[in-house]
Amino acid sequence: MSNLQTKYQPFITLLCRLLLGGVLLVAGGLKAFKPSESAGAVAAYKILPTDLAHLIGYALPWLEIALGILLIIGLTTRLAAIAGTAVMIIFIAAIISVWARGILIDCGCFGGGGEVDPSKASEAHRAYLMEILRDLGLALSGIYLYFFPYGRLSIEKPLHNIEEQ
Amino acid sequence: MAKQAKATKSSGGDNFTRWLVIGMVTLVVATGAIFSVVGEKSKANESFAILSDFKVGPTVVSTVDDANGAGITFNNGAAKTVDIWEDPQCPVCNTFEQANGEFVEDLVRAKKAKVVYHVLSFLGNESVSAANAAYCAADEARYLDFHKAMYLVQPVLENSGFYSTENLIKIGSYAGLTSQSFIDCVTKGSKLDKVRAAYESMGKYNVQGTPTVFFNGKLWERKNNAFLPEEFTAAFEAS
Repeated sequence: MSNLQTKYQPFITLLCRLLLGGVLLVAGGLKAFKPSESAGAVAAYKILPTDLAHLIGYALPWLEIALGILLIIGLTTRLAAIAGTAVMIIFIAAIISVWARGILIDCGCFGGGGEVDPSKASEAHRAYLMEILRDLGLALSGIYLYFFPYGRLSIEKPLHNIEEQ
Repeated sequence: MAKQAKATKSSGGDNFTRWLVIGMVTLVVATGAIFSVVGEKSKANESFAILSDFKVGPTVVSTVDDANGAGITFNNGAAKTVDIWEDPQCPVCNTFEQANGEFVEDLVRAKKAKVVYHVLSFLGNESVSAANAAYCAADEARYLDFHKAMYLVQPVLENSGFYSTENLIKIGSYAGLTSQSFIDCVTKGSKLDKVRAAYESMGKYNVQGTPTVFFNGKLWERKNNAFLPEEFTAAFEAS
């Protein structure tokens, strides 16, 4: 196991970067140019006061894009991974919160969002579960990147790599 | 793992890159957010263009009947009764309004029937704000105009920031509501108790969604989803 880890770590790191970064970039890109939709989606969680929720709805897609690009090109990977993981944990908490309060919404993760018709309650609940599992997987990728930020095809290289070899 | 941990520890000299990246990300996020906010503001202003030739009608006095779910009531005592349940943000209510709003307005203005508007607010915060403003308008005998103007500019998306205090006052200004009392009422949310009472009366009248219409207390079961004016008119005449 530890041998495998040593051998493949640079590839696993690359995979995690592309996974977390790719999802963030796509999610941000799909929402960035539909600001009212994104603002409405955040407000639908009914966690924050409406004005603040709207502001976050406007800003969040751009943060996702920025983090996504950083992770994909591999620049300040560790920092971007911490932020990306934090974002995922917040998403998970938000979905658990709406689920627990019995609110039925579309998560608006990749655009869309807002309330869901009560007749589609079971679909919405299944979607919540899938979203939590997906974000959990992405958060784990982020945590891996925190410990192993250096891998293949990355702009950033460990400074003292050469010395150690 | 040890190797990687060591590597980052020794990259302490790369603090510059880190701060540069943090700075750039902050800049991108801030610019993006400002760009979105400004874009939304100008879009909101565009949607008000529809109201530029809005014609304000004569004032019509209404009462708020607390015993009847705090509905905004016109022509109390008329033979026929029409109860209309709507939410300011509900898109289907807008379809109903565009199809039959004129007919209902005529019922009110020509005193052909008792018309009760139940302004609901189950679609979120902005429905509450808009419903409050509707009650404020009713106080100034301008509910009909306000209601009409509000549906004309109804945003496609719910709770997207459009029914802000500022915009509700603006809608009012097109509907002949320029008094300080209206502005204060919208700003302070003076009618929130009525808004709540209307919302809470849904169960009592067994109203499950909007728009819902009752003719003389009997539920209108429409056969067509488009709210055809012919069907609505016929149902009213038959009631």
